[in-house]
Amino acid sequence: MNNKSRWALWIAGAVALFLYPRLFGIYYANIFVTFAIYALYAVSLNLLLGYTGLLSFGHAMYFGTGAYGTALALTHIKGLPLVPALLAGFFAAFFLAICVAPLVVRVGGNAFAMMHLAFGQLMFVLALKLRHITGGEDGVGGFPIPPLSIPGLFSLDMGDPILFYYFAVAVIAASLWLLWFFTKTPFGQIMVAVRDNTKRVDYLGFRVPHTKAVVYVIAGAFAGMAGAVYALFQNLVAAYDAYGILTSFVPVMMTMVGGIGQFFGPICGAGIFGVLDELTTRYTDRVELVLGLVLVLVIMYAPYGFTGFLTYLRMRWSASRAQRSPA
Amino acid sequence: MKTMRFLFMATAVLCSLGLVLQSASAADMVPKAAFDFKNFPDMSDFDPNKPMPLKGDTIKIAVVASHSGPAASVGEIYWISVLWAAHMVNKQGGIMVDGKKKMVEVLKADTQSKPDITKKVCERMILQEKVDFLWGTNGSHLQKVINQVADKYKKISVNAASLSDELQEVPDFSRYAFMTTFSTEQIGRGLAYYYGQIRKKEKKFYILCQDYLFGHSMAEGFKKGLKEYYPDAEIVGEDYHKLFLTDFAPYLTKIKASGAEVVYTGDWIPDAANLLKQARQMGIMLPFADIFMDEPRFLTEVGVEGTKGIINLAQYGNGNPAFKNDDQIKVYRAWNDLWKNKWKEPYNTVLYTHPFGNIGAYIGSTYWLLSVVTRAGSTDPEKIIKVWEGDTYQLPSGQILEMRACDHKQITPLTVNEFVPPAEQKQSFNIPPYYWFEGCSNVGPSTLLPMDKVVPKADPKLCK
Amino acid sequence: MDASVAMYVAQGIHGLAYGMVLFLVASGLTLIFGMMGVLNLAHASFFMLSAYFGYQMVAWTGSFWAALLVAPVITAVFGILLERFLLKKVHAFGHMGELILTVGVSLIVLDGVKAVWGTESLPLKMPPVLEGLVQIAGMQYPIYRLFIIAMALVLLGILSLVLFKTRLGMVVRAAVSDAEMVNALGINVPLVFMFVFGVGTWMAGVAGVAIAPILTVFPGLADQMGMDAFIVVVVGGFGSLGGAFLVSIIGGLISSYGVQFLSQYAAVLMFVFMAVALAIKPKGLFGERD
Repeated sequence: MNNKSRWALWIAGAVALFLYPRLFGIYYANIFVTFAIYALYAVSLNLLLGYTGLLSFGHAMYFGTGAYGTALALTHIKGLPLVPALLAGFFAAFFLAICVAPLVVRVGGNAFAMMHLAFGQLMFVLALKLRHITGGEDGVGGFPIPPLSIPGLFSLDMGDPILFYYFAVAVIAASLWLLWFFTKTPFGQIMVAVRDNTKRVDYLGFRVPHTKAVVYVIAGAFAGMAGAVYALFQNLVAAYDAYGILTSFVPVMMTMVGGIGQFFGPICGAGIFGVLDELTTRYTDRVELVLGLVLVLVIMYAPYGFTGFLTYLRMRWSASRAQRSPA
Repeated sequence: MKTMRFLFMATAVLCSLGLVLQSASAADMVPKAAFDFKNFPDMSDFDPNKPMPLKGDTIKIAVVASHSGPAASVGEIYWISVLWAAHMVNKQGGIMVDGKKKMVEVLKADTQSKPDITKKVCERMILQEKVDFLWGTNGSHLQKVINQVADKYKKISVNAASLSDELQEVPDFSRYAFMTTFSTEQIGRGLAYYYGQIRKKEKKFYILCQDYLFGHSMAEGFKKGLKEYYPDAEIVGEDYHKLFLTDFAPYLTKIKASGAEVVYTGDWIPDAANLLKQARQMGIMLPFADIFMDEPRFLTEVGVEGTKGIINLAQYGNGNPAFKNDDQIKVYRAWNDLWKNKWKEPYNTVLYTHPFGNIGAYIGSTYWLLSVVTRAGSTDPEKIIKVWEGDTYQLPSGQILEMRACDHKQITPLTVNEFVPPAEQKQSFNIPPYYWFEGCSNVGPSTLLPMDKVVPKADPKLCK
Repeated sequence: MDASVAMYVAQGIHGLAYGMVLFLVASGLTLIFGMMGVLNLAHASFFMLSAYFGYQMVAWTGSFWAALLVAPVITAVFGILLERFLLKKVHAFGHMGELILTVGVSLIVLDGVKAVWGTESLPLKMPPVLEGLVQIAGMQYPIYRLFIIAMALVLLGILSLVLFKTRLGMVVRAAVSDAEMVNALGINVPLVFMFVFGVGTWMAGVAGVAIAPILTVFPGLADQMGMDAFIVVVVGGFGSLGGAFLVSIIGGLISSYGVQFLSQYAAVLMFVFMAVALAIKPKGLFGERD
């Protein structure tokens, strides 16, 4: 693909995103926002899992902290504008990640996963326990959603689902672009090397724990960003949604189903889960059964996920074409 | 002088007569609408597993509940209750709204017990399925979301099952939300009133509730009630346990050591079931004062002895005996016969034997809603609000419900039931077989708490 | 005995009883992990499944003992089927594959039990012999809980005997530390794996039937127990039977004495214990494997 057609593709994508809510209405606009939030959340997890090989069972602690950060900021600070509220969530997760990173980057594998399970669950029970701050099971809700405005220029009401759609999609697209850009930097390459051969990276003189720590903090902060958008979107953040074990599992499943280690894998996974969710809640009460079967079938027959499956198809296609064309 | 005395006497008599009449009128309040026994249709084709297929334009009610996942049984209870009321109205020919006769259609909206899914599914119901009413659900965190969505898209939401007072208080209050259930503070005060003003026996109470907003509100209500109605009472201990607790033994050991005479609990099932069961297994026979220990299946497991003496506060009921006339028996039989002979899983279990208790209350809420729609002659929310605010409605049991206009909370007398062995249940269940359930203690003596002693909490910002 | 002392002793016994149930569930989980490196997230689902099987057995035969004997065996068969036909195939794709697979299986089990037994809470009655209370040193204690403690201890005893005193146990222990080497010695390691998986799910099955009379059998049972068992395995160290035993008891005692002395924070204590233990020893108190 040359540069021109790539640009054309991007522009077509942007136009499609712009027209989407006008064509499909509020309900599907909201579905898309949900998808986008989970896409960003899953991509942030994949940064750890796919690129550095660190599996976290407690990524929800960053998502949840981001969500609570924004929700609590809006609840307690009168007249807080939109963007600072969003950043409150982002930085809440960022600082939490900075505090936790030194504890966890020296371990890998199951120990890493389990420590996250422990910290994640600790956050969960604390959120339940500290009801006067977090609202416990009922959560923090009904806080004002400020308009997106530049005083004197314009003011957009974020209570309007369509306008909020544009805002959320813009924030998430920008975050995704930043993360994508990050994986393409030389540092991003070292990150992959850490996954593939930690020792060699060490011998080459790069400091592995530091590399891990940087990735870890970025992954946490952007999970927080996803959480912050979630808080604004739902106008309610409760302990279970924010820190529950399922909230930690969902991005792992999305990444696995979408395709691990590829940047767009988790985004596909989030999309697949979105469609699946929409279909199951509409047509059956057997939500768990369908999800369970999908997970089992994916792992059995397409262990590299959806994007892996696509790559496999493309390779077969080009292989068969190579065979057919006379040498 | 004689005439003076006569006049004085006459005034006194008249005055006291007036007082008597006035208090009598509070009890025999004439409701604006009542359950229509005369038009009660043949319900024999009702099957919760096969709703009647409906054609054309309908009045739509979405039952917002957990229809999947571990808590799916709750969704089943709501489903059959709402569907029953809708079926009855449909058999009567539907409701005239906005100049057209329409049938009532009931839809399932599965929350999966998660707030974000609840929001999504409610939006789908309103934006895509075009439902007129959201009918929900246990869990104040979920009901809050339902009310929010209803408020945003200006549709009516009916809260028939979430007991938190704060749903109808500033800042959560929405004029589109109506609460047709009893609420936490009222429950706590009700039980305190019963112990302090009516029963006057036990004095030492232990509070054991679930450690989240609902449990704490239940405890607060009871403590407030004791101060108000039973200053002599003593709270000998107070604990809050996590939800879905496995082992109650440590709490029960503390309770035993505290010298408590009654354990007050707000627990729902499965916690309530495990609490009672483990208490009896440990030889602790203390009575529980509660609202959820009325599920026949686990009561039967604990047995007659272990369930004797439970004090259960209920929102549905009109004192003893349960059946006061033949009409009531006819309506009851319509349900009970179908349960015995027709319904398949999951509606054939002992849980669905009687359209009483919470099932009675959920059916009642839906009867009331549909009566309001009939009288409003429209599904337009503004017209519904106008009719429902300040409305009174009489259930088949004779119980009268009133909708407080200022905060949309239901006012009705509450019932306190004492559980007794089957042989003594005749005082309440006065038709054959003369007991509610064979294998466990159940409602015997039934006390109606005066409506004005258990008025639900009102937010002064809403109610002057 | 002084009343308050009696209370503290009672709390200790409650802690032990709960700890023993935890151990029954956790031991299978930790064995399977230690041996095969499989983190079986469907383990608690087998625990629940067995409780349902037990309910069914009692419904058919009326005998708790039949349920206690048969239900765990059927559960173990399901476990073996899972290992043979599903887990083995995804082993090549590493831990992630196994995790996702077992999550999928747990979801299918959840919906499966709902389809077969419905959503209600089902009762499983304890045998009349074990009903009631015994007097020990002036205080009453439910026989059934003592029975659970005794049964768990007996199982632990048998398990340790097999593991440390028999040839089979030697093979298992050897396979835990180096499966390839054991395979090269001509021992059918896949068969040994299958055996271990079967025993692991059987233990969870025993726990499921054993605890059912105390709790109710309902679709949320797996969630109710799963987290606590998981904590035990994590803190005890993956693959360490001794670690699981010790932490089960600690966990049980924390939960009962926590309620006694720090009631407000009882629910948090276990997680704090886990977080602190892992912050100090990331691989668990007795864990060697990563």
